[in-house]
Amino acid sequence: MKVDLEHLSRLANLELTEEERKLLPGQMEKIIDWVGRLSSLATEEEEKYTQVDFTLRLEDDEVHPSLPQAEVLAMAPDKQGDFVKVPRVFREK
Amino acid sequence: MKYFELGLREAVDLVRSGQITAAEILESYLVHIESADREIKAYLTLAFDRAMNRARKIDGRKEKGRLAGAVVAIKDNIVTRGLRTTCGSRILENFVPPYDATVVERLEAEDAIIIGKTNMDEFAMGSSTENSAYFPTRNPWDLERVPGGSSGGSAAAVAGFEAMAALGSDTGGSVRQPAAFCGIVGLKPTYGRVSRYGLVAFASSLDQIGPLARSVEDCALLTSVISGFDRRDSTCADRPVPDYLADLGSFQDRIRVGFLKETSLRGINPEVAASYRRVQQMVTALGFEVVSMDFPSWEVALPCYYIIAPSEASSNLARYDGVRYGFRAEAAELADMYIRTRTAGFGSEVKRRILLGTFALSSGYYEAYYARAARARQAITAELRAAFERVDFILTPTTPEPAFKLGEKQDPIAMYLQDYFTVAASLAGIPGISIPCGLTPDGLPLGLQVLSPPFAENRLFKFAFLLENNIKFKNNMNGINTRGRRKNEN
Repeated sequence: MKVDLEHLSRLANLELTEEERKLLPGQMEKIIDWVGRLSSLATEEEEKYTQVDFTLRLEDDEVHPSLPQAEVLAMAPDKQGDFVKVPRVFREK
Repeated sequence: MKYFELGLREAVDLVRSGQITAAEILESYLVHIESADREIKAYLTLAFDRAMNRARKIDGRKEKGRLAGAVVAIKDNIVTRGLRTTCGSRILENFVPPYDATVVERLEAEDAIIIGKTNMDEFAMGSSTENSAYFPTRNPWDLERVPGGSSGGSAAAVAGFEAMAALGSDTGGSVRQPAAFCGIVGLKPTYGRVSRYGLVAFASSLDQIGPLARSVEDCALLTSVISGFDRRDSTCADRPVPDYLADLGSFQDRIRVGFLKETSLRGINPEVAASYRRVQQMVTALGFEVVSMDFPSWEVALPCYYIIAPSEASSNLARYDGVRYGFRAEAAELADMYIRTRTAGFGSEVKRRILLGTFALSSGYYEAYYARAARARQAITAELRAAFERVDFILTPTTPEPAFKLGEKQDPIAMYLQDYFTVAASLAGIPGISIPCGLTPDGLPLGLQVLSPPFAENRLFKFAFLLENNIKFKNNMNGINTRGRRKNEN
């Protein structure tokens, strides 16, 4: 099946390199046709959601220390004071 | 015998009884890794100084933990406080985590020594470790061949005696397949058995952390330490953890063992099929009841997996945007920064999977792909569960072929076919262990996969231990270094 790679990469916040632009369309078509074999299995009555073999236990409503702010901020590529800094969000008119 | 040749349990016994020190063991590793890893390239980051400090502390203490002196390698998608964790990706090249994964905390609480972080396919996507953004790892049994993946660095480190054991992660076979390629033991535990807190997420409904070691015993000991409830992972099971080591021993009860019919082995490597049949004869000779089985839904298990895993990955990997940590590409505006960061930070296989997952979840295709795969997953699970009403264990080859050569598989689908025997257990959430079951005439290891019902790891280890004792596989890769050099001189 043909796929609109431009559209998909926009959705995924990706750009393709020159080489990927050459290789990917053919590869993706093949992969999508291959996973499409799935339609040979009749599964109409099956549930969509996965079950686990145990009861999920939610965390108790208690306060625990979180990661130290300074250490977390130290990982940020750019910061200003106690904030993570990013390029401007809105385009100027 | 040199200390780096010790098995994990042996070493722990010697250190706990005061016959040798953890520091002496580490010295021996330092020398061996220095030469062996030049050929194998199992490690992305080595942490000798950190390890030696810990060893001295352990040696200085009277009370010693269950893993005192154990030298353990950690796959580089499991976070380690203060120790770089790259996930095999450029996007996390300089990422130094501010916390430890639960499994790392548990290992260190029992005095295990972490020696380094192992190479892997980027974000655990691949079956050869060639998708690492840094360099490929080589198979200690044959340096021209891959160690498997995605936990290829962990498997190669253990096989090449560069660690006593390692942790890996398994989403569709990423512990079991490299264990098979490298002639060692690797377990994917039941989904929920081991906390995933601190494991970089790939496909959250499938990911599990598992141990790799040179014996079933060592694997069982590690599993006892890393398993159990963790409040920080809500998909972690609140169930007691048995002492897997104490439970090893012979079976008193009748055991029925499922083997695949000939038709299910179509197209696989003849050496693999022959070795599988030899195991079947051995199990029959041991007096166990052998049941012939087939799993029609396995025909669609791979396509099902290659929709579900990329779908979850496309969502999980959305977090790498260059804002809070990791690599950031410069741009004047935020939206461009996201795109440039991700475009430069991710390799081709990761992009392929993100795009595939984005496709399967996108408007107009969701029902035909993702929803259908989710239902197929239920059918595959139901079929496996039903099989366990007839048998106690199911045995399959771990991989369709032995280790292949670097660069041999250029076509993505050819690589995906590596997971043929392993994905069903992942989709069904059941445990699977791979143990070595022989060598090809060329001297390449082959793996046998043993599957059991969920949370039956104690019985799984017990049966794997019995098989291991009868197969008597010998790892002689402590000599890798000379062998590797000889090869290069030719």
